[in-house]
This record gives sequence, structure tokens and C-alpha cells, in this order.
Amino acid sequence: MADAVVIPQVQPVQPALRFLRILPGVLLLAAIGYAGKLLEQNVGAYAKAHHWVFPNIEYVLWAILLGLLISNTIGVPEIFRSGVATYEFWLKAGIVLLGSRFLLGDILKLGGVSLLLVAVEITGAIAFMTFLGRVFHLKPKLITLLAVGSAVCGVSAIIATKGAIDADDEDSSFSIAAILALGAFALFTFPLIGHYLHLGDRAYGIWAGLAVDNTAEATAAGALYSDAAGKLAVLVKSTRNAMIGFVVLAYAIYWASQGQAKAVGNKAAFLWQKFPKFVLGFLLISVLATYQFFSKDQVGALANLSRWAFLLTFAGVGLRTNFRDMKKQGLRPFAVGAIGEVVIAVFTLGLVVGAEKLFGF
Amino acid sequence: MSVPENAAAPVNKPWRLSLDSWAVVVALLAALLVRAGVFKHIPW
Repeated sequence: MADAVVIPQVQPVQPALRFLRILPGVLLLAAIGYAGKLLEQNVGAYAKAHHWVFPNIEYVLWAILLGLLISNTIGVPEIFRSGVATYEFWLKAGIVLLGSRFLLGDILKLGGVSLLLVAVEITGAIAFMTFLGRVFHLKPKLITLLAVGSAVCGVSAIIATKGAIDADDEDSSFSIAAILALGAFALFTFPLIGHYLHLGDRAYGIWAGLAVDNTAEATAAGALYSDAAGKLAVLVKSTRNAMIGFVVLAYAIYWASQGQAKAVGNKAAFLWQKFPKFVLGFLLISVLATYQFFSKDQVGALANLSRWAFLLTFAGVGLRTNFRDMKKQGLRPFAVGAIGEVVIAVFTLGLVVGAEKLFGF
Repeated sequence: MSVPENAAAPVNKPWRLSLDSWAVVVALLAALLVRAGVFKHIPW
């Protein structure tokens, strides 16, 4: 008897049911984010009133720390998980709305410089991660996933590449764990290094956008430094994200030529499918703001709306990071990722400092 | 033409927006509501 292919009957989930399923987690994100905002306002004032020396900790860090505390102590109960996973949605909506604070001229000027830096960063990072993976005798497809994750845009790039090159689930879990662990580390070290080196907001923002892998962590690392640095980090990170389709396509073609992945049919459709659509939304809002579709007050309102969306994102970054789960994934891919990230961070810092002297941004 | 017994029938997936596209749609909608004056002031 021929094996029957059983296709499970997937019951469509009603929109109302889906909404109810995500609601507890979204409320948890909002509660943690808002608690972070209240802590920023009150802890500083309390310390000042009692003549304590206490650093001014921004809501971004409070929200992440509260999320980390919950995730790594009591854990995130099942009922909240679907809603917590929406933090990526809030991140992307926040980035689109942030477009209202960029005039098209700024984007063309900074985008041109960042495009050049991104091209150098992607080429250098892929070459170095491939070399390092071979030195550590990692599996070839795991090397590809780590290279794409650290060169382009973290988890999204790894997921997109996994599908395109038929990589194992285990390899992608390894890569995602390494990228997330290093992203969490970057979140706390980048602002300290930036302050230690007295980097300006622009230079730091561009560096964070170039070197921090995951979009949420890059946005948070920028916002932890300053508002202006946060804006720049988002712009540069979005430029990096826009490259995802080209890098994944190149790897898909390479692995297909090795007979280890499906051939890519329509390349234009492939590129469009992998292209991050929120980059287009960001550009559209920026064009509208440039041509004064929004008044000054409305731009302020959109910027605040973007901040609220990021507030939920930062709470999600903390809640999503579980150090025990990351530890389970093994040391070698993490070691390759860590060495690679340090080299990429130093390399991109050199690029930014050089570009600052050359272009004077 | 006979269809192999183990061939799965093509499944017509319902057309769905990606998370990315939903984020763009929701953000643009919010921007239009602000533009139309529905939300006059968003506090921070």
C-alpha cells in the first residue's frame, strides 16, 4: 500500500479568537513598558529627594530589565506567550511611524553614507564569519546561517535563509540562540563603550545600527544612548535589513548549485518576498512628512506613537531573552558568534570613525 | 491521466498579509487618523 500523505485539517482561527489569544501578552508588554516609564520618572526623583547618587536609568533599560527578570525567574506563562511574540509587530509599526521624524533629504544623505558602510560591513562580516566557522569546523549550513545572522539582520535573516537553503532546524536554533545572546550582551556593552570613547550621537547611532544584529536590540542599544542616536541606529539598521533579499538570494543560488537546496525560480519574486516591507512604510511616511502632509504637532504625535510602540518592543526584548535556554544550545556556535561579533564591532567602529572624518556627519 | 495515490492535492492557501505588511498597514492607518484629527494629541 502506498503511504498516504496525511494533510492535517487546520481549522481557521477566527480573528476575534486570535485577538483574545494575544490580548494577555500585549497587556503584559504594555504593563512592563509602562512600569519602566514610571520607574524612570520616579526612581530618579526619589534618589534626588534623598540625596542619593543614582544614575539616570531610562525607561528603555527599565523595561528590558523587568522583562529579563520575569523571563529568567518565574518565566513567561503560556497564556502570555502569543501576545509577547507580537513585540516584532510593535517594533516594525514603531519604525514606520518614526519615518515622520526623517526628512527625505536626511535619508538620502545619511542613507547614502550608511548604504556604503552597510555594503562594506556585510561583505567583511560574511567573509570573516565564513573563515571563523571553517576554523572551528562548524557544519557548512550552520556557517551560512551564522554569517547571514551577524552580517545582515539577526533572527529574520536566519529564518529567511533557513527556508531558502533547506537548513536543519537544529542549525537555525543554534544560530538564533547565538545571535540573541550576543544581542543581549551588545545591549549593555555598546552604550558603555560609546560613552567611554566619547562618541557623538550620530557616530554611535550609525555604529549600533551597523554592528548590533537584531533590529529590536539595535533600536534599544541606540535609544539607550540618546534619542538622536536611536533614530540613526534605526535608519542604518533598516538599510541593513533592506539588503536581506540579495544576501539570501545569493546563498540560495550557491546552495542550489551544490545540489543541496531547491533552485530559485523567479528571482524578482524571491527578492520581493524577502524584502522587509516596513522599510517601504518608513520611506513613505518620511516622504509624506517631507512634503508637509503632517503639521508640526501631528509629527510630534506620530513620534510619540512610535515611542509607545517601542515601549512594548523593549519589554518584549527582555521577556524573550532566557539565558537558560541559550545555555542549552551549546558552546561552539556561541563561541564563533562571540568572536565574530567582537571583530565585527571593532571593524565597524573603525569604519564609522573613518567615515566621520571623511564625510563629516 | 491517473493521479498517483500518494500525491497531495494542491492546497489553495488563503491570501494573508505578512507581519511586516500588517505593521505597515496599522502604522499608516494610525498616521492617517492623526492627520484627520481623530487623535489630536498623543501624550508621552
